[in-house]
Amino acid sequence: MKKIADILALCLEDIASGRSTLEDCLEKYASLRQQLEPLLKIALSIEAPGDIKPSAAFKVRTRAHLLEEIHARRAKAKWWQTGFVAGAQRTVRFRWSRAAAIVVAVLLAVSAIGGGTAYASQDSLPGDVMYPVKLGTENVRLMLTADDASRVRLKLAFAGTRLQEMEALADMGSDKISVAISGYQHNMKAAFVETEQLEGEDASASLSETVALAVSCHLPILCRIEDKAPEEDGEAIERAQEMIGERQISVLRILAGKNPVRATEIKLDVMQHWLERADVALTEAKIGGGEMALGQFVALCECGNEIAQCAHGSKDGFNSIDEMNMQCTSNHLAMLGAIYKKVPADMKESVERAMRLSAEGYCRASSSLLAAGMCHNLPEKPQLSDDIPVKVRERILDNLPCETTLPEETPGSNGPGGGGSAPNGQLNESQQSGYAPWDVPPPCPSSAPGQHEV
Amino acid sequence: MYTQRNDEIVTGTGLELLIERAKSDDTDAFGKLYDMYVDRIYRHVYYRVGNAADSEDLTQEVFMKAWQAIGRYRITDTPFLAWLMRISHNLIVDSYRKKKRDESYLDDDSWIIDSAPTPEEAAELGYDRRRLRRAILRLHGDQQQVLIMHFIEGFTYTEIASSLGKKEGAVRVIQHRALTRLRQILEKEKDVR
Repeated sequence: MKKIADILALCLEDIASGRSTLEDCLEKYASLRQQLEPLLKIALSIEAPGDIKPSAAFKVRTRAHLLEEIHARRAKAKWWQTGFVAGAQRTVRFRWSRAAAIVVAVLLAVSAIGGGTAYASQDSLPGDVMYPVKLGTENVRLMLTADDASRVRLKLAFAGTRLQEMEALADMGSDKISVAISGYQHNMKAAFVETEQLEGEDASASLSETVALAVSCHLPILCRIEDKAPEEDGEAIERAQEMIGERQISVLRILAGKNPVRATEIKLDVMQHWLERADVALTEAKIGGGEMALGQFVALCECGNEIAQCAHGSKDGFNSIDEMNMQCTSNHLAMLGAIYKKVPADMKESVERAMRLSAEGYCRASSSLLAAGMCHNLPEKPQLSDDIPVKVRERILDNLPCETTLPEETPGSNGPGGGGSAPNGQLNESQQSGYAPWDVPPPCPSSAPGQHEV
Repeated sequence: MYTQRNDEIVTGTGLELLIERAKSDDTDAFGKLYDMYVDRIYRHVYYRVGNAADSEDLTQEVFMKAWQAIGRYRITDTPFLAWLMRISHNLIVDSYRKKKRDESYLDDDSWIIDSAPTPEEAAELGYDRRRLRRAILRLHGDQQQVLIMHFIEGFTYTEIASSLGKKEGAVRVIQHRALTRLRQILEKEKDVR
């Protein structure tokens, strides 16, 4: 006698091939009808998802990345085999193989001094015969770096090299940009992951700052390359920007735990970048790019609240954070007002949300300063552009968490008219002009060896 | 139910030749295998993780692992696609473990597109694709894999058995248990509603 599992499989096959119907099968195995019927019905309901396909850009990028990795591994393997131990690449974590790696590296270095292969490969670009050697050299450098923080910095440096390659390839009109994009993303992802893993350790503050700053420096370069790259590569570059933008937030959170003032500076700098990018993209009717940039801005608005909370929790620098937030948010609101006019109707809601979040942040900062007895000469409530329809303005400003009354002065407090760190008033003028650039953007780190090479 | 298998773009000796070339370190051949199978693997991964970003990462990883392991692949053992599916399964399981109890992927219904059954069809069958997918993703290990490979990917029991390293009879038993468990999950869900 057949088991029910076999009968079920048989019925399913017969129904699928059209040899019988559900009812035929249930009649044939009438004694099992109660058990079979619900199972068959469920099985017949299971359908493949519709036409889900990866994007063409993903396929090209991944193919390029795979082949790049394979070439790099092969190059690495060849070096290992020319060393003392054939096949050592599979066991690199053992001490003896690390020692072998050092010997090989020394040989390589000697070779480089003599104008050898590894050195000659350093100017190569994807598609060149020497490019796998260049990647192999990078892998050896990584392998010889035991310290986690140094490895992250190396990966940032390699990401910077990929950026230079992308730009050179875009200038040449090459079709190999996707290889460099893929390598860039690969290195950046690894840098983010390893930085996140080091959270809580001593090095995490400086490392998260380095990585967050690298993103701030890379973003304008990526925009520049995107503008001159072919359309398909442009999409991939936009996705790379999206990826590093999203991952930067997690690194900023780590930094905020140690140094909220620095985290705020970097955050505000990059927010300014995203708004400028949204403005340019929308002016050129690149709706996708505008949406992405606006989305990144909103995510940073939300992250800003967390950073401010970190600062208030630590009682360290929160006044300066609130001041910075208020000053910059005034500019952001003015820029968002200009963007609001440019966006198509279906995007206006997103811009409105960005304005609402900005306005909330402004109010929270203003209230916090007032509660601390600090005075400032910015308006207590955020100012919105007159170009925005009245109804929209009302919606944005409705029920904002703005505290409009000052606390009573207490002896020794730094109250209104006292020695509070009032801003210089330039921003009121900036607000009127609508497009004032942010006064003092944090500088990008110098391109010291082992850091960002771009 | 039952997807039409259309992976035999290069069949028989053609496919075998490509695989043999890839095994001898021919990157062009591996690139061609990638071109043939990337859509299927992506779709399989997408069904199970429900978002484009993770699907892209995992798909890339599947092919990287496949390149590393292709030397050990034996054509006679299991179809190449089934072998890739097995690698995908292992990576997805690892990824679930890393995310621990994050079940947000269960709620991602963006993969449901226009071809979902009409309300009448859904009412007649009693289950819609969204609920079914959620329930299938709640099955564990082999049960989930057998249902997806058979009903979504269209593999035969023989192919599934070779991919999972089990006998055909065992695969049919797993299928029966999986459908029984699926029924329990769906019934329970109905009661909660």
